Amino acid sequence: MTKTILTVDDSRTMRDMLHLALTEAGFRVVQAVDGLDGLEALDKAQADIIITDINMPRLDGFGFIEGVRGNEKHRATPILVLTTESDAAKKQRARDAGATGWIVKPFNPDKLIDAIRRVAA
Amino acid sequence: MDPLAAIKVTFFQECEEQLAELESGLLAMEAGDTDSEIVNAVFRAVHSIKGGAGAFSLEALVRFSHVFETALDLVRGGAITPDQDVLKLLLRSADILADHVRAARDGGEVDEARSHAMAEELEALAGGGEGGGSAAEADDGFGDFDFKPLMVSFDEAPASEAPATEAPVAEVAPEPSGRSFIIRFYPQAALYQKANEPGLLIRELARLGEVAVEVDGSGLPNLAEMNPEDAYLGWRVTLTAPKADIAAVREVFEWVEGDCYLDIVEPAAQSAAAATAAPEIDATQPEVDVMALIRQAQEAVIPQAAAPAPASLEPAKAASPDASKAKEVALDAKAQAATREAGGSPQTIRVDLERVDRLIDLVGELVINQAMLAQRVAECGLQRASSVAMGLDDLEHLTREIQDSVMAIRAQPVKSVFQRMPRLVREIAAMTGKEVRLVMDGEGTEVDKTVIERLSDPLTHMIRNAIDHGLETPEERVAAGKPREGLVRLAALHRSGRIVIEIVDDGRGINRPKVRQIAIDKGLISAEANMSDDEIDNLIFMPGFSTATTISDISGRGVGMDVVRRSIQSLGGRITISSRPGQGSTFTLSLPLTLAVLDGMVVTVAGQTLVAPLTAIIESLQPKSGDVRQLGPNASVIAIRDTHVPLIDIGRALGYRQNSPSPTESVALLVEGEGGARAALLVDAIQGQRQVVIKSLEANYRPVPGIAAATILGDGRVALILDVDAVMVPKPLERAASGPSAQTELAAPAPSLLKAG
Repeated sequence: MTKTILTVDDSRTMRDMLHLALTEAGFRVVQAVDGLDGLEALDKAQADIIITDINMPRLDGFGFIEGVRGNEKHRATPILVLTTESDAAKKQRARDAGATGWIVKPFNPDKLIDAIRRVAA
Repeated sequence: MDPLAAIKVTFFQECEEQLAELESGLLAMEAGDTDSEIVNAVFRAVHSIKGGAGAFSLEALVRFSHVFETALDLVRGGAITPDQDVLKLLLRSADILADHVRAARDGGEVDEARSHAMAEELEALAGGGEGGGSAAEADDGFGDFDFKPLMVSFDEAPASEAPATEAPVAEVAPEPSGRSFIIRFYPQAALYQKANEPGLLIRELARLGEVAVEVDGSGLPNLAEMNPEDAYLGWRVTLTAPKADIAAVREVFEWVEGDCYLDIVEPAAQSAAAATAAPEIDATQPEVDVMALIRQAQEAVIPQAAAPAPASLEPAKAASPDASKAKEVALDAKAQAATREAGGSPQTIRVDLERVDRLIDLVGELVINQAMLAQRVAECGLQRASSVAMGLDDLEHLTREIQDSVMAIRAQPVKSVFQRMPRLVREIAAMTGKEVRLVMDGEGTEVDKTVIERLSDPLTHMIRNAIDHGLETPEERVAAGKPREGLVRLAALHRSGRIVIEIVDDGRGINRPKVRQIAIDKGLISAEANMSDDEIDNLIFMPGFSTATTISDISGRGVGMDVVRRSIQSLGGRITISSRPGQGSTFTLSLPLTLAVLDGMVVTVAGQTLVAPLTAIIESLQPKSGDVRQLGPNASVIAIRDTHVPLIDIGRALGYRQNSPSPTESVALLVEGEGGARAALLVDAIQGQRQVVIKSLEANYRPVPGIAAATILGDGRVALILDVDAVMVPKPLERAASGPSAQTELAAPAPSLLKAG
């Protein structure tokens, strides 16, 4: 069955890149523009995997992850965080919030798919 | 387009938006706004640019945005106080960042020295504030993350002899490049709470080589005591991987570090190390007290927790208040979003401009068609109250509304031009040593996209002029009893179907005697000319006029105010100046909201139908015989109230006829040109007033002197739109009369050509 991935990023560029790489790899992609939008998207549809940015308006990645983990329905959904190499402290904060793993930006499609494989059965 | 190239286009569009966000945020902070969301937005803008730049390997852009981001992060975290000096630095950095973005987009060059110096300033700033920043980071639960696996003592020594950790057996042996590893992996509850799966990790190990997996269920309690949230199972994996090294194995567990007990041993390497470090230990000895290991590991990770059960329950308990807090945050943000939406952050879609223009063209055709239909129906002699006529009225109304709505699609706020001005002002202020405050108003005022695009150059030039010529130096200002800082105000507003843009400065105003003298010296006016103050002020728009006694770096870039006026005129706009000596000048631009339609007066001249732009017409009148005075064979004036204005026969000006009809049997249109000069244009009759759709003559035929464009009337005929300024200026008239005339050029072929276009 085709897996659905929710991508949460306020940058159109990033959303487009994720969309391109993920659809080429055969995933279905649902997009959200910030954490709040992401939580709303999850109210409407189930995602198999979530990929989220950290720095976003309205509700940032940490708040979003906590929101996802606080919902019984999504407690077991893998969440990958988009982060940069220099963000060690942010990685840890994201993990504390409940992130499953992370993808270091800039990513290439192989790296992205590799990361997804590591969290998806 | 290849999809990646399309994303790159998106990236640069987004960069522009983020640069705008960055600048407006920094300006708001400069103005004293301390809302933390503004600082966050400013940080995010640079962060996003860096992220995208990284994806496209735009290295110079990544480098600069990284330094910038670091400084902004410290501002955001409170380690750097954004005082006026810091904000000035950040604003200048935003300018450099914009240069980098544009260089990356257009393949241009960035002023390396400037960029480098800026980066150093930012680094110095960040260095100054870093102390507090890194301390904050260290508090960030980072210690937990840095967990190092506890080494196992195989001779079952008590945990107190843990210092053996200092010799991590596996890690001292990077060589040889791995053959076989024994991995002991005991997840903790936190691992599952983050949706990690031991099965997937073992699958990852299997990608490195052959695995033999044993489950250790010895930690499982009785069912009654079992907490479903807790972790009880462990795995022992033997990996045979000829090509893998220990780093590759560790990487598999990268995301669960700290959430499990993990021990990776490479027996071959270990025995080598053991031979030197601890020869008495038999490294291959398989008997290990697993529960002791787990306890040891848990004590190391959560030292405050004595027993394993509470330790693993604690995170689960902590999770629920956190979650409800997150909900609160979410609700709060939702409420904020709602208010923001109410405040007008409308949803948008992106549409190809070509499609919009096609729609505009089609609606233009619809307007023409509707007008033609109305005329045909009128010719049939139907009653105004007949259902057909009333239906047509409705159609006209609807068509008009559709046209307005479609035009509105092309309308954009002038903000996109205005937002370039703060940087310009900073740069010119720095170059001239003047102190300038820029105030902008009405940035949300909308006007056609084409108008916006073509406003940039004239506005840039006028702002330059206002600072360079208008404002005095701080010393001069103080001496004149004014504040040191000069004020430049840029404002846009809608007024009677046009957009009006004002550029106001509180500088020295126009030096009228000097302007007058220059105009006389340059032969632009006669020494005896009796001119009003306004007329003198407007001399600066005359071609060949420049008040600068020395060509400064700023205003002397080859264009004068006459070029500004011409470009405004080419948009169907007007520019005027009013000035008060010692108090400043106000430049006022008035522009049509769209270039696609025009309100016109339809007139007949020598059997031809022409359209005169209504904006140029002041009044129409019937000349009386005594009012007209002949000044020569080709020149006459008409007295209108207390002044005389030139009387120009449009028929002759456009070469339609050799002899003018008697003015008393014609109609005169009193018009005002863009420079404020007036003339009376003689036409045979007025047909009426109507809105016409502008069709470019250049695009469909070729430029014709005296004619600005063409349109199609209700009856399907082509009518030419008069270029009022061109017919008022004597020179083009001579050319029109001696060269190929509009008449001969357009008489036969034009209608079909235009129709086809």
